[in-house]
Amino acid sequence: MLFAGPPGVGKTATAHAFARDLFGDRYIDDGHFLEINASDERGIQTIREKVKMFARQIPMGGYGFKILFLDESDQLTDDAQHAFRRVMEQFSTTCRFILAANYSNRIIEPIQSRCAVFRFRPLVKADVIKFLKRIADGEELEVDDQALEVIYDFSEGDMRKAINILQASASISKKIDEKTVYRVMGYVSRGEIRKILELALSGKFSEARDEVRRLLYVQGILPSDIISAIYRELFYLDLSEEDKLELLDLLGEIDYRISEGATPEVQLMAFLARIAAKGRR
Amino acid sequence: MSEIWVEKYRPKRVADVVGNKKSVEAFVKWMKQWELGKPPEKKAALLYGPAGVGKTSLVLAYGREHGYDVVEVNASDWRNEARMRWVVGESSLQATLDGSSRKIILVDEVDGIAGKEDAGGIAALRKIIDETRVPLVLVANNPWDPRLAPIRERCLMLEFRRLRKSEVLRRLREIARQEGIRVSDAVLEKIAENSEGDLRSAINDFQAITGGRKVVDEKVLEVLGSRNRVKQIFDALRIIFNAKSIRAARAALEGLEIDLDMVYAWILDNAPAQIPDPSDLADALEALAKADVFLARVNRKQEWRLIKYAVPIMTGGVAVARRHKPAGFVKFSFPSRIRLLQSTGRERELRRNIAQKIASKLHLSTAKALTHMLPYVSFILENDGGMGKGLAEYFELTPAEVNYLAGGKVEKEKVKAAAPARRARRRRRS
Repeated sequence: MLFAGPPGVGKTATAHAFARDLFGDRYIDDGHFLEINASDERGIQTIREKVKMFARQIPMGGYGFKILFLDESDQLTDDAQHAFRRVMEQFSTTCRFILAANYSNRIIEPIQSRCAVFRFRPLVKADVIKFLKRIADGEELEVDDQALEVIYDFSEGDMRKAINILQASASISKKIDEKTVYRVMGYVSRGEIRKILELALSGKFSEARDEVRRLLYVQGILPSDIISAIYRELFYLDLSEEDKLELLDLLGEIDYRISEGATPEVQLMAFLARIAAKGRR
Repeated sequence: MSEIWVEKYRPKRVADVVGNKKSVEAFVKWMKQWELGKPPEKKAALLYGPAGVGKTSLVLAYGREHGYDVVEVNASDWRNEARMRWVVGESSLQATLDGSSRKIILVDEVDGIAGKEDAGGIAALRKIIDETRVPLVLVANNPWDPRLAPIRERCLMLEFRRLRKSEVLRRLREIARQEGIRVSDAVLEKIAENSEGDLRSAINDFQAITGGRKVVDEKVLEVLGSRNRVKQIFDALRIIFNAKSIRAARAALEGLEIDLDMVYAWILDNAPAQIPDPSDLADALEALAKADVFLARVNRKQEWRLIKYAVPIMTGGVAVARRHKPAGFVKFSFPSRIRLLQSTGRERELRRNIAQKIASKLHLSTAKALTHMLPYVSFILENDGGMGKGLAEYFELTPAEVNYLAGGKVEKEKVKAAAPARRARRRRRS
């Protein structure tokens, strides 16, 4: 199976829940289920050794198969994917495979064609809010409706993010209103992207560049998150609508290039340099 | 120089093959099955990996040691099925029941069989694998071309990697000894390093610099590139930024003993200072971004031929974009990214350690933990609200880590924090 969809919508949770239902609470300890995160172990060597080692062992406890869960499988190199594909075939009698990925287009065709693809979508508002309320009850928090709405808006249907915002809010006070949530988000997003864009607009390209590098290399912010934040800010920049349109086009282009493996830093710089050229007037 | 060393010092026995022990062992095991008269399930072996790491040498050494005739076929020579069957088919079907002539068929450059010209080449090879009665060994640099899929499935896949510097060095010392050449270790080390794990090129380099002499002194290091690398890169940058044609800009990289990624970093980080006009700079960085796309394809798909687009675009593209020059000479400087990474090493390590701890608890990758969890954990630790201690214990954070997460430029951050919040609200109303 291939679970494809954005972060925080339950891909990993589903895989674990599924295995627990199937094999019982000791599904991991008894060796029925192995989780590997491809983002941390992305080489061909992992596939060769770890995956094969697990996959080739005979299932225990009267079950017909075991489950290997490969999370963030779109982070595997092409070579590793090809190797993995062979493993899938070789051990299909003893092992079932669940892959999770943000971008299914980064999974090579031969693997996709061997998988039943399940699309996971951002969660709808009602579901997120219902769950947040459940947590609020359990933790004895008072969260007003407006705050819940705002949390959902910021979460963009990402349950992990929604819960994180709620918990961070709760660290300020047990009573959570809209303002509490804004305080959290103000801290978390730190307005850094806005600052970077404004540096570029005022012609301080090198400073903007250094800030982006700090985000990428020191803070470790994911390029996709930086791009999303730029996307959100872009409409509010002090530029003509024509210029915004052109920048939007370029942003989409570098977003795509990065998803195809280009270097985020370099692509973002090209984008900032273009903004700097626009802001010259 | 009567003999080419690469041939002269080809391993005579399997034990002499340098490096890649696992694949060598697997190959020997596979051949043993043939020897026992029980052809293995996979009747072909595909040896793959970069040039000069011993793929062909292994097969030749095995053949020599165990008395096989190695029938060598270069796949690039084949043009079609008919020719291929003629060359390989013939020998593969000759039974060796009487044991008079034992054969290994060695098909080189399998990744070279592709496209229209070799129509049917792959299908024919597949058929030959199915029918062969003698061991068939295929060699390729890049076996992952989709067109080779049917071949791969039929082959024992054996990966050969770049050799370690120490492995190359040991072999060079051995050759020096046998040739009776007096040469310092510094020279051999330099050769080994330049070879990047390609033993064949290392041996060729070594033979070239000795030039038939029996004593090699350290002056040859100059030829090999102990030349001041920084001076080299400055020369190259000057040519690139001032080139009048793409051809001239591209030529700046010829003979440069610095790897492409490094050159790229230098161009990228010097562009802002060298290109004063913002529009020019935007065009230059767009050229660099496009070159980056080609380099990414090279890395991801192993499409080495695409480098020929990346190089002129990253050099010539920048030169073409630079329509205005700065008033006066602007010095080239060391890439600032590298400086940033050096100066922030400790902070990055701290963050990575924290992220790893969080990741291991939450079924996340460290990258996701850094982005999706760390800011919130940091916020909670800073405000506490009775949760901090439990959280720190749950993630098994050290006091130093907690301190880092909770501390820092707290006051400054909070002032800044107000601005985006207000903006967000305004936006929601509009």
